Amino acid sequence: MIRRPRVPVPEDFTAPSHSPLVTARLGLWLAVAFGLCFGTGLLSHYIQHPPGWFTWPTRPVNLYRITQGVHVLSGVAAVPLLLAKLWSVYPRLFVRPPVRQPIRLSAHALERISVLVLVCAAFFELVTGLFNVAQSYPWGFFFPTAHYAVAWLVVGALLLHVAVKLPVARAALSTPLRRSGAAPAATPGPDDRDSSERRAFLRTSAGVAGIAVLATAGVTVPWLRRVSPLAWRSASGPQGVPINRTAAAAHISVPPDWRLEIVWAGGRNSLSLADLAALPQRTAELPIACVEGWSASAHWTGVPVVQLLRWAGAPTGRPVRVTSLETDGLYAASTLPAAHSRDPLTLLALRINGEELSPDHGYPCRLIAPSRPGVLQTKWVARLEVLR
Amino acid sequence: MRVTRLLLLVVGAAATAYGCWLLLPQLGTALPWLIGGPVLHDVLVAPLVGLVGLALGRLVTNRLRLAWIAAGLAASATLLLIAVPLLWRPPSAPPNPGLPDRDYPLGLAVGLAVLWAAIVVVLVVATTLDRRTDRQ
Repeated sequence: MIRRPRVPVPEDFTAPSHSPLVTARLGLWLAVAFGLCFGTGLLSHYIQHPPGWFTWPTRPVNLYRITQGVHVLSGVAAVPLLLAKLWSVYPRLFVRPPVRQPIRLSAHALERISVLVLVCAAFFELVTGLFNVAQSYPWGFFFPTAHYAVAWLVVGALLLHVAVKLPVARAALSTPLRRSGAAPAATPGPDDRDSSERRAFLRTSAGVAGIAVLATAGVTVPWLRRVSPLAWRSASGPQGVPINRTAAAAHISVPPDWRLEIVWAGGRNSLSLADLAALPQRTAELPIACVEGWSASAHWTGVPVVQLLRWAGAPTGRPVRVTSLETDGLYAASTLPAAHSRDPLTLLALRINGEELSPDHGYPCRLIAPSRPGVLQTKWVARLEVLR
Repeated sequence: MRVTRLLLLVVGAAATAYGCWLLLPQLGTALPWLIGGPVLHDVLVAPLVGLVGLALGRLVTNRLRLAWIAAGLAASATLLLIAVPLLWRPPSAPPNPGLPDRDYPLGLAVGLAVLWAAIVVVLVVATTLDRRTDRQ
């Protein structure tokens, strides 16, 4: 029998994995993964670009480590879930548009456009996110702003999609996957087999999502470091902590007469490294928690910023601008919100894990504050400016 | 339900519009990366998955074995996809002293080997149990 090749129609796909019962459940799981991703991503965005109403707590010290870990791992889990969901609805791609009915046609077109936006944006977020954690940027746009903008596209198109599909999804979700007592075992037939294959497809999707998370979670979960083959960062690095930006990459040369400047409205003061080292020191275990989701804890020793400001005679409990010796980097300066600048665990660290900071870790001194993204933990600090 | 759907529609449209407005300055460079995903998926990935599924269905007749092999293939493909940015660093990527941080190809190979070894063990155990119940 020779069949002429033709474009398939939805009815050609007979596998149980294309059932709405499967689609709706995958959609729900994917919505949870994307929801977590969006929520934690928005938090990270607000921590780095805080609007006036936003405050971020300094406790627990691992809070940002956790939210950003959830961000990247929910994104990783979404990869197999998205592919499974798209496979489940793939036959719908071949639905013929109702050409002769203008009103239904326009509704059909609008739905297709919203789904196209959703799929484009979802793939974009997952792909760019995965390249970003590997610190690889094979594109022309600026990753943080594009990733943030497209996140709104995903959420908007997702809400539109839910609005359109709510009746179908609700009906599918309230239908049990396993045939209940209403269809007893006395009628074994293709339905039973379909039902078990639907469950197997869902189990596989969830299992693969779990494997994907397990394969990467070592970036932030210490006891998985040796288990995860695809963790993009191990906890190793000079002095026990990985480095994103080296002193050479930042073109840092510390002048021999380096002094830390402290500036506030109505006064200024400055200290040499010897002066800093002579002040009472505090040691704290704090994580470097990067926006790329990797994190590693270390024992940092230095002067609490709040003590330093008091010693210098500067006002405390206000935001503090921390400026680096670095001149051209995106992250050459950061602003400590008031909550962080008054926290006794916010240190101007001189030592890491008992050793003097190496140049790559920010010699002569660096900022380390609880519950903050690594990019805001300014290295090679030259100046503190008390704001307002 | 009607109110919920209307609310979702309005909020969804607003969020989409906001995203478009945010993306506008970079739309030109981002567009290929936006369109690329669905095109690659619909034209290449999904038909390939379908063909592999059809071929596998013909080759493997035992349902349990088929389910586990399909799951193994899905997991392997996912791990490979996640590994792409770690295995392939285009020259445009800035040098980073921390990366490559370890031997990713070796890690991936070991991970896949463990995965398939586990599947083989599961299938052998399941087949043995099946035979025993058959004999009884």
